[in-house]
Amino acid sequence: MSVRTNRPRRRLLTSMAAVFAAGAFVVGCTSNEPEEEDQPAAAETGGGDDGDGGSGNDEPGETVVIGFSGPEADHGWLAAVNDSAIAEAESYEDVELRTAEGTNDANLQISQIETFINEGVDAIVLLPTDGAQLTEVAIRAMEAGIPVVNVDREFSSPFAARATILGDNHGMGISAGTYACQLIEENGIADPVIAEIAGIDSLPLTQDRSRGFAEALEACGQEVDNRVAAEFTVESGEEQAANLLQAAPQIDIIWNHDDDQGVGVKQAFDNAGRDEFFFIGGAGSANAMQWIQDGEMEATILYPPTQAADGIRLARLIAQNKGMSDLVQVEVPRRIVLNAPVVNADNVEDYLHLGFES
Amino acid sequence: MSDQTPASPPAGATATTPPADEHRRIEAAAAEEGETRSGFVRFMSSPFGRNLGLILALLVLCAVGAFTAGDRFVDTDNMVTILRFASIIGVVSIGMTFVIIGGGIDLSVGAIVALSSVWATTLATQTMAEDTHWLLMVFVACAVGVGCGLVNGILIAYGGMAPFIATLAMFAAARGLAEIISEKRTQLVDVRGLVDTINGEFLGIPVLVWIFAAVSTIGWVLLNRTTFGRRTIAVGGNATAARLAGIAVKRHTVLLYVVLGLACGIAGIMLTARTGTGSGTHGQLYELDAIAAVVIGGTLLTGGRGTIVGTIIGVLIFTTLTNVFTLNNLDSSTQAVAKGAIIVIAVLLQQRVSVRSADSS
Amino acid sequence: MSDPLLQMSGIVKAFPGVRALDGVDLEVRAGEVHCLLGQNGAGKSTLIKVLSGAHQPDEGEIRWQGEEIRLTTPLSAMKHGIATIYQELDLVDGLTVAENIYLGHELSSAGFAHRGETQKQAAALLARLGHSEISPRRELGTLSAAGKQVVSMARALSHDVKLIIMDEPSAVLDQEEVARLFKVIRDLQSEGVAVVYISHRLEEIRQVGDRVTVLKDGRTVATGLPARDTPTRELTRLMTGRDIEYVFPPRVSRDGDGTVVLSVENLASGRAFSGVDFEVRAGEIVGLAGLVGSGRSEILETIYGARRATAGTVTVDGKQLRNGRVRAAVGAGVGLCPEERKSQGLLLDEAVYRNVSLATMGRFSRGGFINRGSEKRAASEHVKSLDVRPTGVERAVRTLSGGNQQKVVLARWLLRECRVLLLDEPTRGVDVGARSEIYALVRRLADEGVAVVLVSSEVPEVLGLADRVLVLREGVVVHTGPADDIDEHRVLDLVMEGSAA
Repeated sequence: MSVRTNRPRRRLLTSMAAVFAAGAFVVGCTSNEPEEEDQPAAAETGGGDDGDGGSGNDEPGETVVIGFSGPEADHGWLAAVNDSAIAEAESYEDVELRTAEGTNDANLQISQIETFINEGVDAIVLLPTDGAQLTEVAIRAMEAGIPVVNVDREFSSPFAARATILGDNHGMGISAGTYACQLIEENGIADPVIAEIAGIDSLPLTQDRSRGFAEALEACGQEVDNRVAAEFTVESGEEQAANLLQAAPQIDIIWNHDDDQGVGVKQAFDNAGRDEFFFIGGAGSANAMQWIQDGEMEATILYPPTQAADGIRLARLIAQNKGMSDLVQVEVPRRIVLNAPVVNADNVEDYLHLGFES
Repeated sequence: MSDQTPASPPAGATATTPPADEHRRIEAAAAEEGETRSGFVRFMSSPFGRNLGLILALLVLCAVGAFTAGDRFVDTDNMVTILRFASIIGVVSIGMTFVIIGGGIDLSVGAIVALSSVWATTLATQTMAEDTHWLLMVFVACAVGVGCGLVNGILIAYGGMAPFIATLAMFAAARGLAEIISEKRTQLVDVRGLVDTINGEFLGIPVLVWIFAAVSTIGWVLLNRTTFGRRTIAVGGNATAARLAGIAVKRHTVLLYVVLGLACGIAGIMLTARTGTGSGTHGQLYELDAIAAVVIGGTLLTGGRGTIVGTIIGVLIFTTLTNVFTLNNLDSSTQAVAKGAIIVIAVLLQQRVSVRSADSS
Repeated sequence: MSDPLLQMSGIVKAFPGVRALDGVDLEVRAGEVHCLLGQNGAGKSTLIKVLSGAHQPDEGEIRWQGEEIRLTTPLSAMKHGIATIYQELDLVDGLTVAENIYLGHELSSAGFAHRGETQKQAAALLARLGHSEISPRRELGTLSAAGKQVVSMARALSHDVKLIIMDEPSAVLDQEEVARLFKVIRDLQSEGVAVVYISHRLEEIRQVGDRVTVLKDGRTVATGLPARDTPTRELTRLMTGRDIEYVFPPRVSRDGDGTVVLSVENLASGRAFSGVDFEVRAGEIVGLAGLVGSGRSEILETIYGARRATAGTVTVDGKQLRNGRVRAAVGAGVGLCPEERKSQGLLLDEAVYRNVSLATMGRFSRGGFINRGSEKRAASEHVKSLDVRPTGVERAVRTLSGGNQQKVVLARWLLRECRVLLLDEPTRGVDVGARSEIYALVRRLADEGVAVVLVSSEVPEVLGLADRVLVLREGVVVHTGPADDIDEHRVLDLVMEGSAA
């Protein structure tokens, strides 16, 4: 892979604005919103300030208690999500964070949210183990007057969250597929073999990524020739990648959904001595960025682990009745979808600080 | 025993034979034994006594909770939260108690929970339920559970497979089938009647907790007051003796797995209502949680002995532990260590108590 | 003789509620066979456990070759040269004979077993025991109970032993094997090894023993009695506190007037036995005599449906039983008291009444719910009429002696009001006093109209109790006739005929 030439691809890179707060739009109307939303944004610290960076919002307000619950941190990305959320909360002296232990058992996570409701926290930041499975209890929290900030895995009801902040999984697939099309065109690959190593197949996010990938490939007349699904772990990545290499003696492009399992995937490549293909990753771990800098990886599609940290910020603002100072809008938006930019050798320097440890 | 010589004083022997009345002596010993029984031994072998270590552990845990979290722990709402959380795994554990007392084990309970939740929430089932009644979904979940239990039981009793292996196969197959049916998606429940009723409240107490209470009561009666319970203990305690006494051991073994399958079906519909979804990812690791609760509840993993009350306390210990940890902002790794320690301590305590009350011969 | 090899004095061992040993004295000289007599529950087993290091005495002194010692673990007993051969053999079925003999003290260097050397030495030990036909390479599980016992003894000899404790060694042996065992004991004796020999069979004690110690209620009631000369009546009086004149209940003379209850026609099961025909009338006791492996237990199992018949029929009260179905047999009123009482007949940790009602639960239940009041009442009635002691029906069966456990199994079938009772070794592990009670019980049952089939390896028992006797040799009935018309010697002749001359 190291001998491949990398030409700049402006078209895509120009679309990379700030990682946070890119496309924000309000979904749904105000049928039965909790009371505080109807009140105008409090201005005790100058919430409507036109200054840059929302510095006024960072000044301490009344102390708020935020409950945070996420899935079990069984791989690097999720650990980074949890850690950055806790670090973000610690940086505010007016935030008291309650964390519930990470779990992959919906029943247990529900009881954690119930505990938050009993305790009467001011806001809940919830990265559900499965969006749909936690919807019922989130609605109950909302009904109890506690705003819920939904992170990463979306609830199945619009009434379950005051604000939703999502990585763009479908967009990730689109970015990866579009980038693959470009590589094919630029390198003049005839009849390319395209492979995909997905994450846990039962998660909607994996399904969204694969759908986006397929759609973008279809646009340039291509399709996925070989597909395997790993489980976001190094071990499963190695195992599935080894299977894939067995199944396909010649591959031109591989998209691996997740850089955590990518460690294992890369190991399988090295074990087999195969590097005839363009290797595209996903999420953007520190490892992946290192490989890109070393020329061992073509690119990775960013899926930042800072969503929960942003969730904490939003929850604080909502609980303190503040808005987002960069927006004219006086209230925190209902829905924020993060961009999924391509990181390659041309721009990797800009993203190094976001790389998380696997 | 042919006798040859008439009685003569033994030569060169120190015979000191009190013409003791054998019967009176034995009866006296028995009476004495009976008296001690009415005291310490009887107390220790009562359900309360046998579960003394467990109850102590639970009380200690509650004391820790009250001390560290104060009013946030000692709060009706919090108690209800603990019970609601305990109810689903509790129902599975009650079923598991029967299988383990009967000398078996079932690793497939979590997968059966998942499959029954998925089957009860398919579009077809939900459409039919809309047209008729949400109880249809309950019926489907229970039927799926019973079906899986039946397969497990038949493979074990008539196929001669080791319970560990047969249920390991079901563990893989049931979850796989759940994923196939759901196409790996989480299926939303649109039949509001199911969610509103089962995830609702009755007389101020969550319906989930009522179900757990009902299943526990039925389980206790079944084990302690019926021929089914007696046969379960016989089959698990000594299968040969049970067979030679005319008990249909194979049929009974099948029934045990069917009972557990039914419990899994009930748990499946409870989880469906609680989450508002059916999913192939439901019930992960329930098999280990249930086995742990049953074993620290004093049920012998080799079969033949166990109590429902112990299992309930076992479940409550684990759920209370989780609650106390959540209230105190402690992470899951510390909790896992505590969970392991509790299993070890509880089982060691159980053994000491049972050795003391059994070692009297 | 100067210093005794072993001297135990004032040994006390108490368990909650029971003083199992309440001042036991025992003196064993080097090179003697010292017999330990006593009813079950007299403290023999506990004494052995103290001596083998499994139990620690609460009081008392153990002197070994004149020095006071403490046996804290089975290993320390072994190191002093005390080996125990347990009634329930403690061997591993999956290992070979040689591996079992050297289990725990393998001949090895750096963790690698010397297989060749182990097998050679094991073979030598087996030859010394007169059983060179057992291959050291054979898997233990394939041996008979008798064979396993030989291995257990070889294992004891593999240590440098000075004292071997044998707990009912003859229980699993037939006549010929017992003779060989006695030869081994005499050989050991001549090498200066002492043996503590426990048996319920007085004739064996007379044959092989030197001195006798009698235990009763956890105390030594007599010690140093000459084994050969002490009259039986005296010994039984010491053991029980009463004289036992008549061991067997008298037969009621009946001239085959009862109706036929059980009829077995041309029954066969694989290679175990074939062509077995007999009938049992109401009130009749039919005994099956034969060596271990002659097919006697297998016949009972086949009648009961626990083993499939390959030919022939079993009929109870005119109705043919379904082949290989225990439940069919039980339903027709057949009851079995199995040979291995503990592992096949009882739920040891369960209460007496629950064991008694095991086959009759349906009678005390309505809609699956058990009426425990009437269940316990009915069980108590039978427990009382069989004189099970102690009397409480709530206690676990494990705490009862062998004889009383057997009565619990009998009570089960009494409660069931069975028509046919199959008894397999009903007095194994049952002491003398309790035996005669069991004999009386069996006779009483017969008098109440039950058809009884009795299997025992003790010929006098079969002859004394049964009305008619079938003698088996290698799966074939070689003699049928009234018990009065045949004596022990004739039975033994029939049984041995054809086998080793």
